[in-house]
Amino acid sequence: MEPETHLPDPASPTPPLAPEAAAMPAAATSDVPAEAFAPRTDLAQLTARTQAVREQIGQVIVGQQDLLELLLTALLADGHVLLEGVPGVAKTLTAKLLARTLDVPFSRLQFTPDLMPADVLGTSIFRPAQGDFEFRPGPIFASVVLIDEINRAPAKTQSALFEVMEERTVTQDGTTHHMTTPFVVLATQNPIEQEGTYRLPEAQLDRFLFKLNVGYPTLAEEIQILQGHHSGFGGTPLEKVKAVLSASDLAALRQQVGRQRVEANVLEYIAKIVGHTRAHKALYLGASPRASIALLNGAKALAALRGRDFVTPEDVQFLAAPVLRHRIMLTPEREMEGGTADEVVRAIVQSVEVPR
Amino acid sequence: MLLLAAGPAPAQGPTAWNRLAPPRADTSVAAPLPPPSAPAVVRRPAAARLRELRGQHDLQYVEVREEPAQASFWQRLLRWLWRQLTPAMSSQGGKKAWDVFFYGLMAAALVFAVLKLLQVDITRAFGRAPRGLPLAYEVGQENIHELNFGEAIAQAEAAGNRRLALRLGYLQLLKQLTDRDFISWQPDKTNQTYLRELAASYPAGRLAFAELTRQFDYSWYGELPLSADLYQQARAAQQQLAQQLAAAAPGRAQPA
Repeated sequence: MEPETHLPDPASPTPPLAPEAAAMPAAATSDVPAEAFAPRTDLAQLTARTQAVREQIGQVIVGQQDLLELLLTALLADGHVLLEGVPGVAKTLTAKLLARTLDVPFSRLQFTPDLMPADVLGTSIFRPAQGDFEFRPGPIFASVVLIDEINRAPAKTQSALFEVMEERTVTQDGTTHHMTTPFVVLATQNPIEQEGTYRLPEAQLDRFLFKLNVGYPTLAEEIQILQGHHSGFGGTPLEKVKAVLSASDLAALRQQVGRQRVEANVLEYIAKIVGHTRAHKALYLGASPRASIALLNGAKALAALRGRDFVTPEDVQFLAAPVLRHRIMLTPEREMEGGTADEVVRAIVQSVEVPR
Repeated sequence: MLLLAAGPAPAQGPTAWNRLAPPRADTSVAAPLPPPSAPAVVRRPAAARLRELRGQHDLQYVEVREEPAQASFWQRLLRWLWRQLTPAMSSQGGKKAWDVFFYGLMAAALVFAVLKLLQVDITRAFGRAPRGLPLAYEVGQENIHELNFGEAIAQAEAAGNRRLALRLGYLQLLKQLTDRDFISWQPDKTNQTYLRELAASYPAGRLAFAELTRQFDYSWYGELPLSADLYQQARAAQQQLAQQLAAAAPGRAQPA
């Protein structure tokens, strides 16, 4: 994971809340009892469950802590995730591992240029004996759907995902089929410069809660990967990873996330950041209100993951790039100058005053 | 004209010449012209018939576009310009002027492309501000360097708004840290950023500030209601750190 992709400003990086700030005993500095300033919602179950997921995935994946935290955030916020990175950086493996830790139906789709919408959604088959049509659900009918190399299919097939990703339903022959809960799409793609790929439609990109850039591991992490492969040739097998979170558990955790507190000034802060994307001179297309909602939901889930029952501007800043980078379009001039969406998001975050 | 001068071909009935000629099987061969001694008959169509034919729309080979009776000002202006330019453009001088204009336009396009590639903002040369839509709201609304904290905290306490009073106390601490050069104040920085800056510039105050930051976060962002006792304890902790900072040597803030 490239650290700069998740940090609003390399000059003032904003990693997760310092553990000592969250858990430090108050008696060390003042007479204020520690329990006086503590979450009013019991987050113990959420912390324990998500920690179990982290541990399971950590058996196989080296490093990528930010990536893992953001994937869990998306899972708790009921959002889909687009993972982008060059081949060989464990995008698909991470998504598969996350799916394995959940005790829910899982399916995997390899997108290819000749894939048709019916191959994804399903199709109606005539039954001669009954004289009617029967709907055969496609592989999209699962709780966790891994779409590998999503940008290898043309826009026609990708647009088949619009309804199911946003409304969690599939309409075929006038009949609407509802997806089970949870329904999470984890899609991977190579950067658009690679051979044989198509750019995803903006409408589809907007349906992803986060776009996460998966970068190369650090030197120490790569050495650790090599050591694992050298000693065990492949490290821990995938089968050792157990399911530790059921659908009902996840639904309960999501309900808890929905009850997170968000102060009015923090709501305004989110609205200002997203609003700035619509007025920025380097942007041809700004983010939609769906982006504001995504930023809010993501921040609530992240705050819960970090042991708080309220959202801080820190959470919003941390998620600004993953939420906004795929929802904005640079002007042709800025693209010609070599600018990136992350740079613009960083500049926007820097231009908005933190509420306090 | 030739046919008119030669006179009409006999419509029917045998001529003397035809009668002399033997019958032939090949009918594709054109019949020979009548002898030149025959008088030429010039046919003249009736004037009335000619007028009738001229009036028929199908025989109008040149379409004359009728000008609309109610041409707009813009249409009249364009027509006038076209009438003025047409003779000028067709002259030798006009052609030269057109060439100069065309090559000038090409040169301007080339210069524009080069300036764009070199990322030169030529709009600034004419004193114009960079483009950007105005925002419908103020970005910065409060400046901690202009606030009278003592008075504001006293007012908040008098109004029973302990949450606001604790917030103002925390902002006062941030101002003190900035004034003492322990942190570098920027509107976009979060509390955790200041905590990291303080850890580098004044490690002795790090733990106390971390706890006060936690209290502020829970009280302000977490909307935690504060009892009088809890407020007094938290406020005392803020004042304790303020005294500690006042006694410390000035720092040298470094961005975290």
